[in-house]
Amino acid sequence: MLPQEQDRFLPIVNVSHIMKKVMPANAKILKYFINFITGEASNKCQREKRKTINGDDLLWVMTTLGFEDYVEPLKGYL
Amino acid sequence: MFTKQMISSEIPMLMSKACEIFIQELTFRAWMHAEKNNKSIVQPCDVAKVIMQTDTMNFLTEIIPNNLGDFSVFDAKEENIANIAEENEVSLSFTAGFMGNPMMKMDSEENAGNIVEGNQATLPYTSGFMGNPMNMMNMDNVRMK
Repeated sequence: MLPQEQDRFLPIVNVSHIMKKVMPANAKILKYFINFITGEASNKCQREKRKTINGDDLLWVMTTLGFEDYVEPLKGYL
Repeated sequence: MFTKQMISSEIPMLMSKACEIFIQELTFRAWMHAEKNNKSIVQPCDVAKVIMQTDTMNFLTEIIPNNLGDFSVFDAKEENIANIAEENEVSLSFTAGFMGNPMMKMDSEENAGNIVEGNQATLPYTSGFMGNPMNMMNMDNVRMK
């Protein structure tokens, strides 16, 4: 039987559990930054009646919020 | 009403890289602020001041603790250090060459001349933070051979 595509990836629940454990308790600044960016991206998607936030939404939000310097280096990860 | 939304597969990678750049920028700005105030150690007050002064980082102002919001203690300390540095200007100019100053270019003759003459212009990072052993000596009339 051929392996399915999802079998080749790490189990996402376990990975997120490990990530939560590793995350330092005082990483408050990063939590705020992530909430700030993803919150705006989420609002954009809701306005455009889309269910999925994609990379272009993030880059657009960063440009809008004054983090335009981040966009060029991040384009390589799309 | 809050609606659940999905994220595409590239979002975690993008966000982690964005966080990396953000922390790098914040740290660099805090370091620049510390350098501007002639401090060799970046302190939480530097980060807090950068957050207050930078428009794009204003969203972090609500997580700055109250005791860091009042900078009178830190400013007084910085002012005091600056005064000490001014008082010891003569002796500091002669010790700079011996302290292994990383910011000093020793290769040019011009700089060598400045060190001998005690010119402060080329020695901005030696102002009394290094536990200067020469401060106790009276070096008013000393000239290096």
